[in-house]
Amino acid sequence: MAFGGAALNIIGALFLAHAIYSAHEHTTTFPTSPLPLDITIELLVSVLLLSTGIVFSSPALKPIQWAQWSGKISREGQQPEAGKKTREGEQILGDGDMFAFLGLDGYGEGRRGFWDVRGKRKEYVGWVKAGGRA
Amino acid sequence: MNDERELVINPVVQTSVQHNSQVVSNIRNLTASLFGVAAGTLGLESYPGFAFYLIGTLIVSALIFLVRAEGKPSEYFHRPLGDLWGGEVVGGLSSFVLTWTLFYGLVRA
Repeated sequence: MAFGGAALNIIGALFLAHAIYSAHEHTTTFPTSPLPLDITIELLVSVLLLSTGIVFSSPALKPIQWAQWSGKISREGQQPEAGKKTREGEQILGDGDMFAFLGLDGYGEGRRGFWDVRGKRKEYVGWVKAGGRA
Repeated sequence: MNDERELVINPVVQTSVQHNSQVVSNIRNLTASLFGVAAGTLGLESYPGFAFYLIGTLIVSALIFLVRAEGKPSEYFHRPLGDLWGGEVVGGLSSFVLTWTLFYGLVRA
């Protein structure tokens, strides 16, 4: 995507420079006559190419709904920010899992998953009724 | 009140909103000066020049809508009409006028 955007930008910039140069030459040679149609078309096409290239090479948007945003993170994991580097050339990590510190997914320190309170209570009642011996 | 309730049920990620509006404003600034170059070279004057800018921003908004928002702008913008279609249109106007007058002076005058 970004490569296609860069290619579109380069082609569009070349056409734009050529169209502006042609327009300049035309107006210096014939100051009163209007701009020929081919220069106008070249100019408009080059502007269209460049703006398409700019949109294609822009960074991707992020979903604003919390559910979709965090779902994307948990599906794809923590991704490096596209196009952003530190001065040393290292990648900058993007948004990560907000609740990783809870340690719910098994690694790291943190709280274990919730246990079944009703099941444990039933088990305890059964143990008491059975005489309280293990 | 209803809006507040909706925000509590479906919370919005503030950093994503900021990122998206920054992307749109970047695209707008770049394309606005580009349209200024085109308008100046074409030799547009007064209202046709501003009309050219409005048509250009509309095309760019449509491109963002199709390419970046994948046709679902409400996923990426809180108010699609204001933030995508009308976002930063006035902010890009100054850079449009700047390059418009510059290229009009360079090429046409």
